[in-house]
Amino acid sequence: MKSVAGKVFFTAISVLYPLIVYCGLEFWALSPRRLSLILLALAFYHFLNLTRSATRLERGRTSIFIVLILICAFVAFFLDNIIFIKFYPVLVSLSLLAFFGFTLFRPPSFVFRMASLWDKSIHSSPSRNAVERYCRNVTLVWCGFFVFNATVATFTVFMASDKAWSLYNGLISYILMGVIFIAEFLVRKMVQNKLQSYVPVCDLELDSRPGSALVSFDSGLEDGVKTWDDFVRDVSTVRHYLEARENKPWILHCEDSYYFTVSLLAMLQSGRKALVTANRQEAFIKEIKKPEYGFLTDEPFAGGSATMVQDVLANGESDGTLRFGKFDKSKAEMVMFTSGTTGEPKAVYKLFLQFENELFELVKVFGNDWVNRKVYSTVNHHHIYGLLFTALLPIATGLPFRRHRIDFPTELVSLVNESAVVASSPAFLKRLSAEADKPFDFKCPPIIYSSGGPLPAEVAGRACELTGMWPMEIYGSTETGGIAYRQSKNGLIWTPFEVCKMSVAENGCLNIKSNYILEAEGFTTGDVVELYDDGRFLLQGRSDSIVKIEEKRISLPEVENRLKQTGLVQDVRVVPMSGKRQYLAAAIVLNEAGREKFAGAAKLSINNYFHDYLLQFIENTVSPKKWRYLEELPQNTEGKIRMRDIQALFNLAESPNFKILKFRREPGVLTVKLVFPTTSDYYDGHFPEFKLLPAVVQVDMVLRLARNFLDVPKNLSKIHRTKFAGPILPDVPAWLKITYDADAAKVSFNYYVEDEQGNPGKNLSNGSFTMNPEESRG
Amino acid sequence: MSDLNTRIKEVIIESLELEDITPADIVDSAPIFGKNEKGEGLGLDSIDALELGIAIKDKFGVTFSTVKEETKKHFASVDALAAYIAEHSEG
Repeated sequence: MKSVAGKVFFTAISVLYPLIVYCGLEFWALSPRRLSLILLALAFYHFLNLTRSATRLERGRTSIFIVLILICAFVAFFLDNIIFIKFYPVLVSLSLLAFFGFTLFRPPSFVFRMASLWDKSIHSSPSRNAVERYCRNVTLVWCGFFVFNATVATFTVFMASDKAWSLYNGLISYILMGVIFIAEFLVRKMVQNKLQSYVPVCDLELDSRPGSALVSFDSGLEDGVKTWDDFVRDVSTVRHYLEARENKPWILHCEDSYYFTVSLLAMLQSGRKALVTANRQEAFIKEIKKPEYGFLTDEPFAGGSATMVQDVLANGESDGTLRFGKFDKSKAEMVMFTSGTTGEPKAVYKLFLQFENELFELVKVFGNDWVNRKVYSTVNHHHIYGLLFTALLPIATGLPFRRHRIDFPTELVSLVNESAVVASSPAFLKRLSAEADKPFDFKCPPIIYSSGGPLPAEVAGRACELTGMWPMEIYGSTETGGIAYRQSKNGLIWTPFEVCKMSVAENGCLNIKSNYILEAEGFTTGDVVELYDDGRFLLQGRSDSIVKIEEKRISLPEVENRLKQTGLVQDVRVVPMSGKRQYLAAAIVLNEAGREKFAGAAKLSINNYFHDYLLQFIENTVSPKKWRYLEELPQNTEGKIRMRDIQALFNLAESPNFKILKFRREPGVLTVKLVFPTTSDYYDGHFPEFKLLPAVVQVDMVLRLARNFLDVPKNLSKIHRTKFAGPILPDVPAWLKITYDADAAKVSFNYYVEDEQGNPGKNLSNGSFTMNPEESRG
Repeated sequence: MSDLNTRIKEVIIESLELEDITPADIVDSAPIFGKNEKGEGLGLDSIDALELGIAIKDKFGVTFSTVKEETKKHFASVDALAAYIAEHSEG
């Protein structure tokens, strides 16, 4: 009876058995003896199935079932007794009870076996453990039902009429099964949409995930894929290394998120304080590194002793034990460094407890959106937002993460077939909205987070057009962690995380208390706030953005917003300046309408346009006195625009001879895009028929910029070598990169042109000087 | 444009550290502070006025009356300032 038709036939008989028996007795006047033939036939059918059973155990169980059916059939036949005919549904229930119940003691449970036949990916899923637990519960529910059903069926055999027996076993029992099926289906849908794989980082253990679960990946790396087994082994190896050494605090910097996470977890688990720094400049490391500190990194470091994670993993010092397990979150210490929007980077002390509490909150609010997604990042995981979203969250939730950052907006194309969570920043999204010309064809729109600064609503809208989803903005800081979130489609109002209790401090700034801020009095930010009764709030600029210009108070964002109102400005930053007098200065990036309107106009007339516009709203004294028009505002690596960078730009007096189009200042490095107009005096006396920038001007320009932006000493002691490989032509923008090594007092420079992709292209000239540090600084 | 007018303009630009502007950009008859109905004028503010007053005193050796209204008249335009200086510097 291996044919499908046979199978259907006998299944139908088995299911309709109570009805057939009832009809047989009531309408067809069949004796129990005749009806017992049906039982025999069913026994025969089960016997045929027996040969197909996989295991001996299964065969054993089915054999017992068949024997019991046969006994009933024979007894019914010989005694011509209806009781035994009616026993079949009881036997079926008991058999299923045995079948399901047995797997409870020999996991995986029956339901999980069925589920994994259906979806093989369960085995390598981070939520496998949760799915297993769920399936076991479903198996239990079925066992309970079979006990109940067998009991009621037995009752109907002895105590009820033929009709009642038939009604219960042939209909009511099936309806009950159907109800359980539907209920389970609904519950499963709810559970499936929930992130079930979350485990606090401090509670992770060897078996928290299936060994084959994916931890991180990177198609750009050989051996880029790492599983839970790899992760546990690598953390253990780093722990062996750390625990064999006396260094207690360790400085940590790894570009590769996998190495970073492995190293950080090893430090936390082995009770080593971790100083997480994005800045790995020699001078900075020297400043924070005390003699007893170790330094773990994944890139060669020239400035003194550092340990390479790759070496530690390759050497694999170990006593053969796997060291991996829980740690005390209230004792594990970390130090973070702020990215320094307004001042120098500041060290912020953290207990891991703070991160753990915040992770819990993030999972609570956003976790269900992340089910079955992969984590990508465009931000630095050495800062709090990157650390939480791209290193700790993936580890706590079991979501695989990519090991290297997405640097270029166009790289998003490689994600179109993935379900992704992208931790991003306003800087990246701005570039994305400027560079992408058509929407990405995402199979499933990525969930994009943005943090590190305010995301302009028009950029958020453009990002939605391109990706299909409004970015979720997170407001927070190194000191406070995440405070609130918003999506621009709902306006500017922020919704706080539930554990954050908001109040307004005396100075009008936002104060936050939460279980991830240690201080009982909470933390007062520098952000002026308008707080509503329901806890939601609007931000109204930094308190340090309110400045006094010659005794007159003015809010810098107010001036900026007024300038944006002209509809000609894409980006603007207004900064306070002081010299002979205090004044405001505005660095402006014109938008397309602005560029069109002012095409070919003298700078003075553009200044006057904005000045006149502003005078409608603000007093002359607090209206900007100096103006710069750039192609882009200078951002640091975290995408933040620093006031002091803009101020440095204004400290360099404007000259008709050259124009700065863009610049970027990092510690010891200045990159600037310059243009020397045809009308520049610099060309005077040099080849009037073929103007090119004289070497002496090139060198002078390097020194002027280096003194202004990099705090380079005033006096030159030696010019080493300069090589001129190509001319700098009028009106053709050239790039200049200046690096200053303060210890060696050495300035190096390189003029070059940009290629079509916007990368450094043809070299125009390069060279270096030594400065005389003894002289007063310029 | 007289030499004196040009010198005054240079002093204005230099002492107030004005950017993006040359003596040629300053209209002789236009207001130094604020603007006229044609939209001409340097648009300087009251802080600039103090600074400029000192600079003119130093460079041209003239003093100004303490009566505010009168002084205001002298600073009405480059022409007015030149007339005042021409009248008072020598004698």
